[in-house]
Amino acid sequence: MSTHFLNVIWVALMVATLLTWFIGKSMAMNVSLVVAVLIISAVKGWLIIYDFMALRRVKVLWRGLVLGWLLLTLAVILLAYWLGLK
Amino acid sequence: MIAHTPIPAPADPHKGHKHHEYPPGDLAIWVFILAELSAFFVLFAAYAFTRLKHLDLFNEMQKTLDSDAGMLNTLLLITGSWCVARAIAAIKRNLCRQSAHWLLAGILTGVGFLIVKYFEYGAKFAVGINLDTNLFYTFYIALTMFHAMHVVLGMAILLIIWKKAMAGGYSAQDHHGMETGASYWHMVDLVWIILFPLVYIMR
Repeated sequence: MSTHFLNVIWVALMVATLLTWFIGKSMAMNVSLVVAVLIISAVKGWLIIYDFMALRRVKVLWRGLVLGWLLLTLAVILLAYWLGLK
Repeated sequence: MIAHTPIPAPADPHKGHKHHEYPPGDLAIWVFILAELSAFFVLFAAYAFTRLKHLDLFNEMQKTLDSDAGMLNTLLLITGSWCVARAIAAIKRNLCRQSAHWLLAGILTGVGFLIVKYFEYGAKFAVGINLDTNLFYTFYIALTMFHAMHVVLGMAILLIIWKKAMAGGYSAQDHHGMETGASYWHMVDLVWIILFPLVYIMR
């Protein structure tokens, strides 16, 4: 993993965090924004798992277990928020 | 101090298309990481489904949290994770001292995280908020303190690795222990990536 690539990932994660914070701070939350925040979290988690944890080129079982945790957790949170709209 | 010769190009094990059989570091840490992630999954699901039954309370109480502190702590943990990833990149080039400096920077982001948390908790406790205040604050305090304990453990592991790195104990050929500690530290970051929007942002 080149150091330049790691730096790019770091900047992307910082920007995504500021975007999440801005949404929460400045906007009236609605279902679209909740979905947007969850998608941003999924992308951030994906980058951390692939490039900081260095699972990008590890056999799919291990990568799948951690990615599966990320996606399942976000899906359960989305389900709970969706049920709250009813 | 053992002097290692720097090697010019990053000895990137991911170069080419070869997929590794196992993740970086000791396999035991990955079993531990998966157990920790499972525990946090249960806590996050419990928060989300308890909120369902107390929507008004959770939405009102969430507004009393300091989302600036939450954002600052997210930036600190992401930076800490990046520092440790840079430490691994450095040791793969045999740059032991540089790797140690990145590890120290990672530890300092953990210190920063705990300082922010200290002031955040201090502001809440000063106005009489505690675990019994209401269901939202029970979850907020329990979840964030449980996570903070993991930050402290991660810092302790990084400290041990940093000392060994300062003594020249790792090299491009032998940095399995550093990867083990780094993997745990990244897990602490990964968990906060979900905790921050769940507790501070989404309502």
